[in-house]
Amino acid sequence: MFDIAPDHAIGFYAGLLALPLALIAIRLRPGRRRVPGTVLGASVLMAISGAIHLALVSTHATEPLTAWLFLANGAGYIVLSIAFTWRWWRLASASLLIATLVGYLVWIAIGLDSPDQVALATKLLELTALGLVLVPVRGERVTHRSWRWASLGVAVPLLTVVATSTIWIVDLARPDPQHSHAGAILQATNGAATPEQVAAAAQLYSVTRAAILPYEDWHKALAAGYRPGQDLGGSSHWMSQHNVDAGYVMDPNHPQGLVYANSKHGPVLLGAMFQMKHIGQFGPDPGGPLTAWHQHENICVTPVGFEFSLMTPFATCPLGAIDISASPMLHVWIVNNPKGGPFAVDIDSEVVKSIDRT
Amino acid sequence: MQTLLWAIAGISAMPFALAGEPFMLGLGLASLLLAMSTCVLAIGILWRRNRARRWAIRLEIVCLAASLLQMLVPIGANHGPVSLMTNVALPVALIVLLRKPREAFI
Repeated sequence: MFDIAPDHAIGFYAGLLALPLALIAIRLRPGRRRVPGTVLGASVLMAISGAIHLALVSTHATEPLTAWLFLANGAGYIVLSIAFTWRWWRLASASLLIATLVGYLVWIAIGLDSPDQVALATKLLELTALGLVLVPVRGERVTHRSWRWASLGVAVPLLTVVATSTIWIVDLARPDPQHSHAGAILQATNGAATPEQVAAAAQLYSVTRAAILPYEDWHKALAAGYRPGQDLGGSSHWMSQHNVDAGYVMDPNHPQGLVYANSKHGPVLLGAMFQMKHIGQFGPDPGGPLTAWHQHENICVTPVGFEFSLMTPFATCPLGAIDISASPMLHVWIVNNPKGGPFAVDIDSEVVKSIDRT
Repeated sequence: MQTLLWAIAGISAMPFALAGEPFMLGLGLASLLLAMSTCVLAIGILWRRNRARRWAIRLEIVCLAASLLQMLVPIGANHGPVSLMTNVALPVALIVLLRKPREAFI
């Protein structure tokens, strides 16, 4: 969702190119003086959206239905961006914008496409254009103004909320192979582990397990400088600031973090966490796909209480929260983790619950 | 659009508040309050209130400054096109449009 799909990149460039061209085209039209600024703004936004749709035809030639829809959509937008003095312009524009937005949501919901930055930027343009199309202007009949205000107050907020929810749900429910839980990006690796990689992963597991076993007594972890963080679904990361600052790289004797289940009997050691010092710098990967590191991106963190949420598809965080990325990390789970194995991004929540029950 | 984007940011904090993050509830409510205030300012601008226009400009300047600061500090903030549109282009467009009363009130 926060990347640009390679086959959509051309649409992004076409949109950037269309902006100055649309502005020049508007200035050359004598009819521009007869319409309000909101109409001109919507025309420019539709011209950009049209250019993006038309550019995407070339990269979707192998998908005839998608290519035809892009062509029809793009041509419709371009025609409407020119015909802003037409009597039925508002109705036609609003209809095309709503149809395109709803069509896209259905398209991604049934799995025919995945949301990316070009698609989201286009939807943002279309929602803004819809708002500008629906804004009443002076000199209109009272009945027109009433239904226009009603549409603006209902249709645009409703479409924005539905679009955001659908895009977000689709992205979280069907992450691409490079993304796992909550949008964490995985290190690129070979497909299947080689026997050497399996042996290296087993070696890393056994050495790490032996090194952190003393920390089953959480008092020793506390004495070694690990400090508990926030409870996340029944478990907490205990971080050692010294080990983070020292920049140890996958050193089993100096893991940057320990993960404990917060059971009613006290903290129970689940595993270790290695973390790199810099964002975007993945660590050594001895086990290939078995020991792929992951990096959390687009997290909204609040300094108050150090809590987090996820950035919305339209790139906003709650007031007072900051959008950050966490440097790459690798977990080593020393308890049985049936759903993902010893190096999984996440510990199975059932494991944490069962520890709490025992 | 600005109101809607802030309202969505506020709503997005709620599932995390329900999952046991109490401060997120406060931030979510604060975002919704900001969204409501922005909506009130937008109505004020429609009613040609100069005070609403001035407050909206101030709000957008603060929003733009915070966004630029977040993008410049190396904390891994998103620099994608959507983020630039929402957090930079939209406030800039609003500041430019609201700058002159004659243009703002058309």
